[in-house]
Amino acid sequence: MAQTVVATSETDPVVPHTPQPLQTNTGVSNNKLAIWLFISSESLFFGAFIATYFLYRGRDAQFLKGPTPSSTLNIPFTSVTSFVLLMSSLTMVLALAAIRRGDHRRFRIWILATAIFGMTFISGQVYEFTEFYREGVHLGTNLFGTTFFVLTGLHGAHVTIGIVWLLTLYGRSMQGKLGTDKSEAVEIAGLYWHFVDVVWIFIFTAVYLIPQH
Amino acid sequence: MSDQVTEIETSGEGPGTAVAVADDPGALVASAGHVAVPDEHGNHPTPRQYVLIAVVLVVITSVEIATSYLNTGHTNLVIVALFLMAAIKFFLVAAWYMHMKTDQPFFRRIFVTGLIGAGIVYGIVMFVFSSTVLKS
Repeated sequence: MAQTVVATSETDPVVPHTPQPLQTNTGVSNNKLAIWLFISSESLFFGAFIATYFLYRGRDAQFLKGPTPSSTLNIPFTSVTSFVLLMSSLTMVLALAAIRRGDHRRFRIWILATAIFGMTFISGQVYEFTEFYREGVHLGTNLFGTTFFVLTGLHGAHVTIGIVWLLTLYGRSMQGKLGTDKSEAVEIAGLYWHFVDVVWIFIFTAVYLIPQH
Repeated sequence: MSDQVTEIETSGEGPGTAVAVADDPGALVASAGHVAVPDEHGNHPTPRQYVLIAVVLVVITSVEIATSYLNTGHTNLVIVALFLMAAIKFFLVAAWYMHMKTDQPFFRRIFVTGLIGAGIVYGIVMFVFSSTVLKS
């Protein structure tokens, strides 16, 4: 019978790890089931705000005072931050691959890179929000301001939570508490991170790329 | 079958780090100087494949941005093209990075159920609101 032996550090004993069907009611990992259910519910959550953005998009044009979306949105700048977030998905999946093969040094590099990419994205968003505020677009300025800040702000909050999660995993790895046998914890964080990325794919298209009125 | 255990990799973590697989050398996937150990869910993509997906994502995003600057007068066509490219990017990330291609179908069903639910619910909401409350 095939047997996999995994050891993660010199403090970890070499423990035989033979893949077995999970002893749960569903036959699948409860933790993964939970994150997939959460992601599924998040689809409905973000769907509400994206739908609202489209419902109100351009409907208050006659009430716009001051800057319009087309004059406010900085597509080149947001394109760069979108590239950064997209690349963070690559580093996240490379971190998972690294911990699965027991390469903890590379895991730490990739997970830290992912967190740094996430922080870069959030920094860009903070800069963008600040610029909007200076140009007179606030949460209550008009329907564009309301829907824009709520949609992108909630996404930014999710990214921020993801960054804290990634840094926690990095810290646990540095303490030697994240062995290869706990790679599922990284996989779950990765699923959350990738979901946040795919949500941004649609927000970027809906808010920035579609021609404005 | 024998119970032979072979040490495969010891780099990066000093002595004591070992990832070894016995009796199933065919299941090993070599990548970037390392040897991947397949988990209970089957073979995952290699790092090289992950990088290739990233390159494709970057190319599509570049085309998206270029498309948004097109001034063809066919706004609806541009919108459809942009959402089509977003959908392709979504599929690539979900299938490859979220491992929906290789993971258990049960998880895929949960995710797709949420997506379809969101599509139906907000499709109805947008139709009703745009044809009644916000009609002007």
